[in-house]
Amino acid sequence: MEKLPLGLAMDLRKVVPYKTGSWRTLMPVNMMQTPPCTQSCPAGNDIRGFLRVLAEKQDYEEAWHVLTRTNPLPATCGRVCPHPCEAGCNRRDFDTPLAINSAERAVGDYGLEYNLKHKKLISKRKEKVAVVGSGPAGLSCAFHLTKRGFQVKIFEANSEPGGWMRYGIPSYRLPNYILKQEIEKILELGIEIECNVKVGVNIPMDHLTRHYNAVFLGLGAQMGTSIKIPGEDAQNVFSGVEFLKLINSGQIIEVGRDVIVVGGGNTAMDCARVAKRLGANVSVFYRRTRVEMPAITAEIDEAMEERIMFRYHTNPVKIITDEDRVVGLLCGQMELKEPDASGRARPVPIEDSESIYPAGTVIMATGQAVDYDGIEIQKQNDQWISTNENLMTSIDGVFAGGDAVLGLETVAVAIGQGLRAASAIEDYIEGNVESQLAPPPVIYSKDLNTYYYTQEKRFSKEAVSIHTRLKNFREIYPSFDRQEIIKEAERCFSCGLCFYCGNCYMYCPDNAVKISPSTGKYDFDLDFCKGCGLCAKECPCHYIQMTLER
Amino acid sequence: MNEKAEELNRVEKKDLFGSGHRACGGCGQALAARLVHDAAGENTIACVATGCLEVFSSPYPDPCWRIPFLHSLFENPAAVASGVEAAYKALKKGPVNIIAQAGDGSTADIGFQCISGMFERGHNVLYVCYDNEAYMNTGVQRSSFTPYGAWTSTTPMGNPTRKKNLPLIAADHGIPYVATATVDDFRDLQRKVKTALSIEGPKYIHILVPCPLGWGHPGELTVKICRLAKDTGLFPIFEIIDGKVTNVKKIPVKVPVEEYLKPQGRFRFLFKKGVPTEKVAEIQEIANQNIERFNL
Repeated sequence: MEKLPLGLAMDLRKVVPYKTGSWRTLMPVNMMQTPPCTQSCPAGNDIRGFLRVLAEKQDYEEAWHVLTRTNPLPATCGRVCPHPCEAGCNRRDFDTPLAINSAERAVGDYGLEYNLKHKKLISKRKEKVAVVGSGPAGLSCAFHLTKRGFQVKIFEANSEPGGWMRYGIPSYRLPNYILKQEIEKILELGIEIECNVKVGVNIPMDHLTRHYNAVFLGLGAQMGTSIKIPGEDAQNVFSGVEFLKLINSGQIIEVGRDVIVVGGGNTAMDCARVAKRLGANVSVFYRRTRVEMPAITAEIDEAMEERIMFRYHTNPVKIITDEDRVVGLLCGQMELKEPDASGRARPVPIEDSESIYPAGTVIMATGQAVDYDGIEIQKQNDQWISTNENLMTSIDGVFAGGDAVLGLETVAVAIGQGLRAASAIEDYIEGNVESQLAPPPVIYSKDLNTYYYTQEKRFSKEAVSIHTRLKNFREIYPSFDRQEIIKEAERCFSCGLCFYCGNCYMYCPDNAVKISPSTGKYDFDLDFCKGCGLCAKECPCHYIQMTLER
Repeated sequence: MNEKAEELNRVEKKDLFGSGHRACGGCGQALAARLVHDAAGENTIACVATGCLEVFSSPYPDPCWRIPFLHSLFENPAAVASGVEAAYKALKKGPVNIIAQAGDGSTADIGFQCISGMFERGHNVLYVCYDNEAYMNTGVQRSSFTPYGAWTSTTPMGNPTRKKNLPLIAADHGIPYVATATVDDFRDLQRKVKTALSIEGPKYIHILVPCPLGWGHPGELTVKICRLAKDTGLFPIFEIIDGKVTNVKKIPVKVPVEEYLKPQGRFRFLFKKGVPTEKVAEIQEIANQNIERFNL
């Protein structure tokens, strides 16, 4: 035995500690959870991931790569997405949700400015896939298939790719050069594209099914449907789709002094705001009220800011023409009755309530449908393509997604469907059984310990003044300050993922939380952990949870 | 100056009070002891009175101390620490941090005259009191730090007297530094220990340490209970430097005392079917007096 100095009972540096871990009945585990932002994002973006990269490393490049793992069009979505993620953000119960949409746009713009390239995942395979339509669904599907190694060819009916993003969304919301650059980046992965080819008209569907291992139909819904009122074939009566397509193709339309837009959807809002920029007095006629309008709320607000008149409970009855030109619109008043099949109040005409409104142009944005010219496929409600849960249509090996399947939806939804279809096509070609891992549970405000967060002001984007914005078609939100976006990213709660606050490390009464030498992350020393649960209780983001002993 | 402030605010973790002690899960005292000694550093001698801390940390052959450790009687950690300091002076060795420490029973009742003597003689010792508001080691008997209305095994109808205010009594000895702290704000606690050790003369730090067993709350709530004790005004956080009360920690949002009392088993009988009795109002009055007195 070692000889110790006089009076010293033992050398405390050489003690083997007593293992108290055997007392435990519950044990702490690090559990990554799904944050509500990702849960509510239709494209399934790793929002927490890219915000944490921005906050911790201030690295826009890495953030762009995190974001483009799921979404190949961040600069586009950052402009046009109605951001359901922000409605999901757990910060809404604390102060205000994060400005995720603005952060996405800043990251997307950085990628364009520094010309970042998408990374390819695996080497080429020999299987070929045809994608019909180059809208968000088609591009997303082509992008994810190419990253998986497939050879993809896109067929586009119009002269430029982008689908409704190119021909539907006006340039004050999404400038054409932004979309063009983002699409170029996707095509640079090695995707072939053939424009001015309408499948079903220029080449038959059979050709595709015969020559390709799988086909994806991202047809979109770009055909206006009419409500059949007298005088619709007059000059200066447009469907909403037609009107936007003409404007976005660079044509100049004489709209006259008064423009009436009929409808309450996003197309109606776009038409009204475009017409306003052409110098007309614009009114939107809708047969229900603002509450029932299907358009994005922010779009309606901005339209109202731009002094567009809204006339509710009004339904067109007849277009009044003079020498084949529109001069006015005869409308009846409606009242709302019990809800119909869509859950919205049913409008019923009031007798003898007709009146005439003067109009130089009437734009009927009353609905859109899929152009099935030459494509034989099974439909639901005689309107949208019917698919099974793997997005496969009635034809074997033909998949579909986007507006043509779902009805009128957003860009993000179409991107999400493109991703889903890409995995389904991969499984189909490889003959795999479709298997889906359950994502980790979603984390809600009640699970968080918000004591450790501080209230901070939300980033707010500044719009150009109404006076200047109505003079041209330039974007109404100028680009953001990158430092401010990083400050905004620092507000992220990081729900369900460790952000190294060190609470568990400092609060453990048993020193059972160690910094792992290999990963640098906090880890539990189960030899000593007594399972008191203090770390789980004081973890701000609910990353640590108590589970039953293994 | 900035460097010094940074040094004081830095959080320390050295595990000088290591793993393997026999404290209950979620023990506030074990947490406080680790935070105190990590802040003090390796050059420290711990003089510990009999009590929970001594019992759970020092059984042979595997104590969890990684610094020199002296066990004294219940009543004399202050006297032992004074002796250690005198010995260092006589041998012309040092400097070394000497920390005398004990629970509330040893500090407020049994060992009080030794502490008073140490303060009066002016030894260069830091005295740390881990206040868990009863004699927890021997079976939850009342001490003079037990708050008004709390159940203990010797006060089954609730403690009829109010808590002794030792920080102010210590300050009235004319010692240079007195502070109160809790385990929930570890930055503040470690800063106070480092500040105290940088001052020559006797110092006193009073730390509120929840006892899950004696207070009757789950171990996971240790930190939260501390926070509630501060935010209700029942445990004021302040420093007394040269006789003047400074650095009073303001309450951000005042919390009614019910929220502090309800999670704790020792106050359960103050509520009849969830409705607070008049004793709760009296405890609220104590909190209000604290808030007014220290301007919380």
